[in-house]
Amino acid sequence: MRTFRLSDAAFAALAAGRPTAETIAELRKAQMSRHLLLLGEIVRLTKDKTPVRYAGTESLADPMTALHTSATLGALRAGARPPEPGAPSPHHLSATADGLTLSVRLEDTDPLRARLGLTPSGQLSGAEVDTWRRLLAEAWRLLVTRHRPAAATIAAVLRVIVPIEPDPGSAGLSATSAEAFGAVALSTPADATALAVGLLHETQHSLLNATRTLFDLVLPGAPRTYSPWRDDPRPPFGLLHGAYAYLAVTRFWRAEAAASGHALAQFEFARWRSAVAESADALDGCLTPAGARFVEALREEVGGWLTDRVDPRVERLARGANVEHRVRWRLRNLAVDTEALVAAWPDGRPPEARLRAGAGRALERSERLELVHRLLRDGAESGRRRPGDDAWLRGDLDAARHAYLQGLENNATKPGTPPGPREADLWAGLAIAGPWQSVRERPELVRAAHLALPGQDLGKIADWLDFSS
Amino acid sequence: MDRTAESDVAEWQSPMVDVSGMSLEELASHHGDSALARCLRRLSAELDDPAEPIAGFNSAL
Repeated sequence: MRTFRLSDAAFAALAAGRPTAETIAELRKAQMSRHLLLLGEIVRLTKDKTPVRYAGTESLADPMTALHTSATLGALRAGARPPEPGAPSPHHLSATADGLTLSVRLEDTDPLRARLGLTPSGQLSGAEVDTWRRLLAEAWRLLVTRHRPAAATIAAVLRVIVPIEPDPGSAGLSATSAEAFGAVALSTPADATALAVGLLHETQHSLLNATRTLFDLVLPGAPRTYSPWRDDPRPPFGLLHGAYAYLAVTRFWRAEAAASGHALAQFEFARWRSAVAESADALDGCLTPAGARFVEALREEVGGWLTDRVDPRVERLARGANVEHRVRWRLRNLAVDTEALVAAWPDGRPPEARLRAGAGRALERSERLELVHRLLRDGAESGRRRPGDDAWLRGDLDAARHAYLQGLENNATKPGTPPGPREADLWAGLAIAGPWQSVRERPELVRAAHLALPGQDLGKIADWLDFSS
Repeated sequence: MDRTAESDVAEWQSPMVDVSGMSLEELASHHGDSALARCLRRLSAELDDPAEPIAGFNSAL
């Protein structure tokens, strides 16, 4: 029996988000091998009863069957009742553009589909299936026309789409499970572009999960940390997942920006290229040799895009969006020992902030980011009107800083408690418009000191905390 | 797993064994094979400590 191998060139191309057809075929074989081995365990545990959903080699490649096998084995090992097999959905969608075909099953019946991580939709109506069919055809045309290599990868990987319930506060949700290679969960996309990006994003997660079956990439035990794509702390493998998915997203927007020159495409490109590069850098020290090689190739790929020219106004807004996310994340997730901080004022070394206990999965939205999106998409300022945001959008940083500072004075809160949404929004505004590095890099310390040292000048506090870590 | 050099080509070698072309019956006939046992231990560890599903916003507007 042979073990799986990838040449370094194939491994690096996979890491760069450009896997060859041969590499994807190897990953699929590895997933089928995984599936068969788990089935073998079920046979052993149930004393030779053939697993109910096993129907020969063909079924090994079906992601929902693989999901059922994992769930069954998990239940047997835990002494619990295995899940009942569900019948596959009858909705088969197919889209062809320029000779390239994508065929997927729209899975709305399998009881195990919730294991992809988000709440599945109920059974779809005929009209809903038609909506998915129409969006898929349009998304596929866009992908094949302008992003053909990514489209070829999606066609080779994707087998099942599980429709999920939208989050009332979000534009769209999506998820992937390591137990179901080739299945993605998606809320109904707003349009074909959203679906195209959602498909290529989630396909990357499937590829990385399959890579993980072959190679350990991340060292065990590393602490959770900041990720530009989530509002809660993430383990290093989660951060790598984000970087790998957004590598493909960045490439998508790069091509879109080149084709259309549209400000919004430039914004997405500029925002995510920085986030991917910084995340790759942040993984240093958490990786196995294979993981280090993987991230090296990923970093090299995105590194080649960092010097692409972007409109300076758009670049400023993109940089601001990334700073804002990091600031909100720190304010939300990091706790400060206020007593030790006050004791260190004004010359001592302040204490390190620590992760708050129990910070669960979180997805929040920034109203300021929505303003930026609207401005770049429609060319008009609309929605929330606050003086600081208006000034930020037009590039008047002094006026923006003044407005955010004034807002903070009018929104005093108690030390020791996390900021509410309005206060967090003002600190994020001050971070993007103000001159202080410390407000951008450790806003939780600046805020804690500002609240605990009433009467002290915020500028002095910010200067005190402006040190190299 | 190792980065190995064979004929001047660097390679990444996985502990996973390719059984994708086998039937369940064929797999059962290899019971006791040490490479398969290693694979199973690796997969079992994964099942015991599953990564959470990766979920987030659609990265589109």
